[in-house]
Amino acid sequence: MRDYIIKRLVLLIPTLLGITIITFFIIQLAPGNPVERKLQLEEGIKSEAITKEIVEETKRLYGLDKPIYVRYWIWLKQIATLDFGRSYKDHRPVIDKIAERLPITITLNFISIVLIYLTAIPIGVYAAVRHGTAGERASTFLLFILYSIPSFWMAMILIFFLGGGEYWNVFPVYGILSPGAENYPFPEKAVNFLWHIVLPVFCLTYGSLAYLSRFQKGSLLEVLREDYVRTASAKGLPRHKVILKHALRNALIPIITILAGILPAMIGGSVIIETIFSIPGIGQLGFESVLARDYPMIMAIATISAFLTLIGILISDLVYVLVDPRISFGGRR
Amino acid sequence: MKRILLSAFLGIAIISGLLSCKSGEEKNETAPAESASDKTATGPVEGDWLIYHLSAEPATLNPITATDAYEGIITGGNVYETLVKRDNATLELKPLLAESWTISDDKLTYTFKIREGIKWQDGVPFTADDIVYSYKTIMDPKVDAPQLRSYYQEIKDVEAIDEHTVKFTYARPYFLALEFCGGIPIVPRHIFEKGDFNTNPAGRAPVGTGPFRFVKWTTGREIVLEKNPDYWGEKPHINKIVFRIITDPSVALQVLKREELDVASLTPIQWEMQTGSPDFEKNFDKFSYYTPNYSYIGWNSARPFFSDKRVRRAMTHLVNRELILNKIMFDLGAVVTNPFYINSPEYDKDIKPIPYDPARAKSLLEEAGWTDHDGDGIRDKDGVKFAFEFLIPGGSETGEKIATILKEELDKMGIKMDIRKTEWAVFTTRLNERKFDAVTLAWSMGVESDPYQIWSSTQAESGSNFVGFKNAEADRLIEQARQEFDRQKRIELYRKFSEIVNDQQPYTFLFCRKATVAVAKRFENVTVYPLGVDPIEWYVPQELHRYAE
Repeated sequence: MRDYIIKRLVLLIPTLLGITIITFFIIQLAPGNPVERKLQLEEGIKSEAITKEIVEETKRLYGLDKPIYVRYWIWLKQIATLDFGRSYKDHRPVIDKIAERLPITITLNFISIVLIYLTAIPIGVYAAVRHGTAGERASTFLLFILYSIPSFWMAMILIFFLGGGEYWNVFPVYGILSPGAENYPFPEKAVNFLWHIVLPVFCLTYGSLAYLSRFQKGSLLEVLREDYVRTASAKGLPRHKVILKHALRNALIPIITILAGILPAMIGGSVIIETIFSIPGIGQLGFESVLARDYPMIMAIATISAFLTLIGILISDLVYVLVDPRISFGGRR
Repeated sequence: MKRILLSAFLGIAIISGLLSCKSGEEKNETAPAESASDKTATGPVEGDWLIYHLSAEPATLNPITATDAYEGIITGGNVYETLVKRDNATLELKPLLAESWTISDDKLTYTFKIREGIKWQDGVPFTADDIVYSYKTIMDPKVDAPQLRSYYQEIKDVEAIDEHTVKFTYARPYFLALEFCGGIPIVPRHIFEKGDFNTNPAGRAPVGTGPFRFVKWTTGREIVLEKNPDYWGEKPHINKIVFRIITDPSVALQVLKREELDVASLTPIQWEMQTGSPDFEKNFDKFSYYTPNYSYIGWNSARPFFSDKRVRRAMTHLVNRELILNKIMFDLGAVVTNPFYINSPEYDKDIKPIPYDPARAKSLLEEAGWTDHDGDGIRDKDGVKFAFEFLIPGGSETGEKIATILKEELDKMGIKMDIRKTEWAVFTTRLNERKFDAVTLAWSMGVESDPYQIWSSTQAESGSNFVGFKNAEADRLIEQARQEFDRQKRIELYRKFSEIVNDQQPYTFLFCRKATVAVAKRFENVTVYPLGVDPIEWYVPQELHRYAE
């Protein structure tokens, strides 16, 4: 077990290196560059020569005057010391900018993921066990509808009807705290915060919830048709024991696979939801950085996401072994 | 807020004005307004806050490195001030930090006398040294201010004659020199000279000389200013201005309706359809006004079909501008015919818009030799098919609608047009590299603008003249006007220039768009100015105060 983990961790390094090389080159070779963005085609009283001169100066300032492989090498040396450089946009350290937005993104996603799993698994089990009944059909239909509704549309509808202005004024519609709430005592502040995130969390949750519960239902139905389940039932075990003890354990395996993607999703943030609800999270930051060709920022977010994805895959592999006796470390290459 | 000088400074910056509904992209957000109720005889009352909508967060509040409009909205005229500013009502340049100035006879030196007793908001006296330092900083290649540097290339020297006198020396006479050097962003030397300029913490906590001082900036949420009790000039009546960041325009309108915002820009559709309820009218006034901007379609004259002015004219005949203005923009704008600010004397009102007239367009195309020779339904000439790509920046709803309407017109005319939408960064790169056939975009400019940047043939290779307009007579008029200090004479030169542009149709000029804004009714003394409103003058009657510490 320990050897296996060490081996996998060592393998992380070349994989990560490969990912950063590809990302770095694709981003920098894409059309558009931060210098042109900065100048925005502006002209003053100047000749063509001066225009070119100013562009060159700015490239030097951003370190874009060197060949791309040299730039990558410089970037890599910085990363080795965990220095992600400074954003072109405001010259602040990239890591500071990520750090000030990360907590909110993690909080939202964590709550949303926990909710998804807590609700999707029971719903999935219910749908599998009651397969074919009217209740199951109704819930499946409802989930199918939920799954089809785009989150931005849902967000706008919720804001419009529950966000005051013309209809019910139930929830705040932007930000994460009311103005002035920074100074509230902790319990009130926490309540205020939770009140603000009800709508965004709902919008982040319902789509995946529908998807995951369908998934859970499918995999449990499959397991219920297995011989050993029939055997357990034949031995006279009560039905709930058969399902929850024997079948569910195996039916959770596919769900674990999806867990691998959850870690990066935790810091991914959702551009659409963050923009609609004016939540200063990582999603917004990443999106704006790409539009502005803010290379240091893009690379930092991409690298951190890649790292978390790899760790996520590793963790899900380990969890497989814990739940599935058919899988062992020795037997896998 | 008072972006009056800064918009001149930004000179001609591309805005997605026509192209998107982002309120912050407007160079000037506030609007002239008639005072909603009768002025009280008691005079202005102190107190209350103003909650102002921002649709995105500024990158920095350092006026030298900032490139977005938001920094100007927040600090321009509120925290940071300049030597001169444009008068709200007359739009003439008038003294601000400078009490007077003299211009030498050869129009090369500008000497400003600075007011006595002005202090930075941290108590340090403001002197001519700060101005010299700011100029040197802008010109320093290590400072991330390339967008400003180009405006000051023509300055040979800036020197502090004494603590209260500063002299700018130009290499050549230029009619905008006073506006440029009088509007140079000035930052406190004693704060910024410590350490690296680009990363100086004052970029997130500005210290200026203005009527408001910085309180706090909460990332992604709000930026707060408060009244500066030691302000040298006439103090504002409002205690605080809170700039609240709400990134979605529909949500912003909702928050406005909840009365959690006092001032917000409106999109045309919000103006027309979503702000007419009695409730809204009870709480808010709506204002619209023309800022210096215009949108256009640019035809790349390097393409075989657009090199012929008859074809470009035919294209203008095919753009149904009145219909677009009415149906898409709800008449929030006016059709323009030349590249000057519609409310300035430079704008030639005698040039009438070329009418929508497909029949006339058809005969012009035939005349130019673009007929369907091979019977495939697409016009051609010398083996070249009349098929081109229309470039629009992503996120530009209006641009997209205009493109769709035009495509339909051209289909009927036997011309094939594909719409190509790209994100902004790619869009600007393609313009710089001249890799486009036709493009739609908007320019915003100063109250007085210099056509040189866009229309001079010297800018055709890699400047902003990306349609490749080259005309010897126009060049001569532009050059002459740049050194003409008599505005009346300049106007005459510009009229001739506008006629050439109208005749050549390098652009199909579209509209000067109106900025639209809603202001809470509780504010008094809200005055209409050509470029917007000035909240420094506003106050709230005592019984209507909503916010206090």
